Amino acid sequence: MVTTLLVIMFLFLMLGFPMMIPLILAPLVIVLFFLPQVEPFLMIQQMMSGISGPVLLAVPLFIFAADIMSMGKTSNRLLDFVGAFVGHLRGGYAITTTAACTLFGSISGSTQGTVVAIGTPMRERLLKIGYKDSTAIALIINASDVALLVPPSIGMIIYGLISQTSVGDLFIAGILPGVLIFSCFAVYAYVHAHMFHIPLAAKATWPERFRFTWKAVFPLMFPVIIIGGIYSGFFTPTEAAGMSVLYALVLELVVFRSFSIKKVPGIALSTGLVTSAVFILVAGGQAFAFTLGITGIPGMIAETFLSGSPGPIEVLIIVSIFFFVGCMFVDPIVVILILTPIFIDAATAAGVDPVHLGVIVTFQAALGSATPPFGVDIFTASAVFNRSYLDTIRGTPPFIVMMLVVCVLLIIFPEISLFLVPE
Amino acid sequence: GGGGSEESSGDSGGDAGGNSGGGGEEEAAGGETYEWRFVTEESQGQMQYEYASEFASRLEEKSDGQISIEVFEFGGLGTEVDQVGQLQSGAVEMAIISPGFTGTMVEEGQVFALQFLLPDNQEDVHQLLETSEALNEDLAALYEEQNIMPLSFFTEGFMQWTGNKKLVEPSDFEGFTMRTQNSPLIQQSYGQYGADATVMSAGDLYTGLQNGTVDGQENPIFFIADSSYHEVQDHMTISNHNSYVAMMTVNPGFYNGLPEEIQGMIDETVEEMRDVGFDIQDELNSKLLSDIKNNEDTPTEVTELTSEQRDAFRELAMPMRDYYRENAGDQAGAILDKLESEIAEINEGS
Amino acid sequence: MMNIVKKLDKGLTRVEEGILSLSIITIAVMVAGNAVSRFFGESWSFASEISELSLYAATFMGISYAARKGRHITMSALFDNVPFPLRKTLALVIPFITAVILFIMAYFSYEYVQSTSGRVTSALRIPYYWMVIWAPIGFFLGGIQFLRNFWVNVRKKDVYLAEERKDYQSEEEAAEQQKT
Ligand code: NA
Ligand code: NA
Repeated sequence: MVTTLLVIMFLFLMLGFPMMIPLILAPLVIVLFFLPQVEPFLMIQQMMSGISGPVLLAVPLFIFAADIMSMGKTSNRLLDFVGAFVGHLRGGYAITTTAACTLFGSISGSTQGTVVAIGTPMRERLLKIGYKDSTAIALIINASDVALLVPPSIGMIIYGLISQTSVGDLFIAGILPGVLIFSCFAVYAYVHAHMFHIPLAAKATWPERFRFTWKAVFPLMFPVIIIGGIYSGFFTPTEAAGMSVLYALVLELVVFRSFSIKKVPGIALSTGLVTSAVFILVAGGQAFAFTLGITGIPGMIAETFLSGSPGPIEVLIIVSIFFFVGCMFVDPIVVILILTPIFIDAATAAGVDPVHLGVIVTFQAALGSATPPFGVDIFTASAVFNRSYLDTIRGTPPFIVMMLVVCVLLIIFPEISLFLVPE
Repeated sequence: GGGGSEESSGDSGGDAGGNSGGGGEEEAAGGETYEWRFVTEESQGQMQYEYASEFASRLEEKSDGQISIEVFEFGGLGTEVDQVGQLQSGAVEMAIISPGFTGTMVEEGQVFALQFLLPDNQEDVHQLLETSEALNEDLAALYEEQNIMPLSFFTEGFMQWTGNKKLVEPSDFEGFTMRTQNSPLIQQSYGQYGADATVMSAGDLYTGLQNGTVDGQENPIFFIADSSYHEVQDHMTISNHNSYVAMMTVNPGFYNGLPEEIQGMIDETVEEMRDVGFDIQDELNSKLLSDIKNNEDTPTEVTELTSEQRDAFRELAMPMRDYYRENAGDQAGAILDKLESEIAEINEGS
Repeated sequence: MMNIVKKLDKGLTRVEEGILSLSIITIAVMVAGNAVSRFFGESWSFASEISELSLYAATFMGISYAARKGRHITMSALFDNVPFPLRKTLALVIPFITAVILFIMAYFSYEYVQSTSGRVTSALRIPYYWMVIWAPIGFFLGGIQFLRNFWVNVRKKDVYLAEERKDYQSEEEAAEQQKT
């Protein structure tokens, strides 16, 4: 059965079918031929289920807001402002992109939303100064995904519930690993800029900086409103996406008057198109995960691996491998739901701190959002930037390697995770 | 939804799973063997899962290995509502279902969302759930029409309030933003106390409470503890405003198609599980309540409502019973009347 | 005859565009509106439900629209690098099989809609089929669209990724196309 699933997945993927087809066909074949008591219509139930839930609503909203801002003046003013301060530094734009993606992603709770909201304007500027598109996209996708690890983290909240671990402790434990991976990306961006001789902008003078800052005052209120609004409890991260649409509209329609309200339905249409292209895959992914879940395959395989009562490092390596492979085919949050219960007992028995395990699990989930073939952030980038799937993932290998190295460090040195956690 | 905790999680609805081999029944050499799937709405270490595991192992033993049951944790098969659909269509044979998640299907099941209706101690609730005709016959019949066959109702403990302030009088709810399930009955119940009831996913709730986007929430103790809500709330009220009730259910077609002997084994296990289940939830909730009380890093002040305070809330909650009678399906009035008299009988007896 | 089909198609495109656009605007109004309204102590109990409905509508109604525009996400590595005859073959086979699978899904979606009869939504208590009716419609229209993509490749000599999108070859050409 596993073979059937994988063969269908890869064959239809490689032949160049729309990606939704392997994601739908694989579970359909399993349900029709291997699970006689499961009504095929339950697949539709699962597809619906896969795209319900408020967190996902943030995605079209951030796409909508980004579309509005790049159609108007907000994006450019923000970028001119950023450029005036970091444009003359080696890798300055890339490092700024990384920082902005990580921060925005961690607070907004939506890695897909971040790919769009930060990625759209930043990619444009990165391309302009001479970065290869594949590098720009890889940077955006991977930096956005680190947000799954940096608190507040939805991955940790779900892990905490399943494993009955303190969410507060998990959040604290995610801080240093987050800083570590961000530093790796930043160093990479710096070295990369050196190696490929990315041109530098002339250093802006202070009067210029003042001018760009002044022009960016309203656009700069955007992060202030989002971050301030969430932390002061005015709205949830999902609602922040809605508020950013509202704010973008007010800026472009009222303050800058860059286009008329008649343009809005057209922008919404292009947002809708991208949303559909991405969400049909998210839906199919859930149907795929459902068939895996009901057959119980992951558990059976895991039990074989855990049979020889392995030690803590071995357990964490097994966990990492399972999550890495799982996230190649299934959404990371879903992987957390499927695999955590399978591993938690074995890990505790081996003496692994559940908080440490939680960090490894969410770290793998973060990494897994960027690993092909199944990755919602890859899909989002592909749809939003209108690039082929392969172009979207071309630049990711160095980032995946860096993340794997950091993962090994996190496994070997539990202190990196646990140092800040109170006893 | 009715009176419920919520285990629905984050963005994907989710998937977890146990390990079930194959499915359905297979002919074996020495007679029929059975492989069943049993889904729950909770994770390992939580009431429903522990109940189901215990149920499975008792039944497996009783049948001498003829029956094997794969117990699924929440997440493997989609949302709670999805799981109901799976039971109805026969994709799974057994399920623990909260009436709260079927309130859009069997509207009368919302009776468990009525506040300050059930007896105020768990032993009496336990007795009521076991003996009530209104539930075990009338309400159960309505579920059977929907292809869900409840074999027993059981409690997972009282629902409690947590808040960023002390909630002991109705006036404490004035201007208070309360996160609840997406159900008009529950939302209006808090409206009765003067609160603004708002919907928020379980995934957003921890940070929502932390940042003050919402001021409080309701859930059974074990769910509050497992989700760490007490870490971001200063107060918890032992409000016992209703009981989190769940049903042990089977797919009727499946059950009725079994040989009598096997049906008998299932029924026997259901009976055994009544007290066992009660003890599981009792131990779980009292242990976790003391964990919450003893947590010094993030202290939570725990206050129990006095009977006068309960009366004040009950008075405001009374009109919701009429709301239920009028809005929760054809049988709502009859079921509630019968249930009220059964409750009165138990309250007199204790 | 051809004229009527063209008109029908044009009308259908407008409907798809309208639903997609309206869905996104509705989600924005509901999500932002609920946040603002809660600030004044009045949460919108219907907000999450209507947003969910809109997201379902956008996702499924977009299947056919994305097929028209050739915007479905695809792993085109092999496709882009094989000789023309093979690519032409794939351009015929892929949309055809895709259409068949989408029609099958339309049928199961229809069964799913039927299975939800009697169920209402949580907040508004409207029949649940309003939430899920988009799946059978979306899959069906999507299937038709892929059949057309198949047909345009039968009729014309070049390779078409969609009725409205001719194949591109290289990254540069693709970038070129993006600008226009
Ligand atoms: Na985060
Ligand atoms: Na992945």
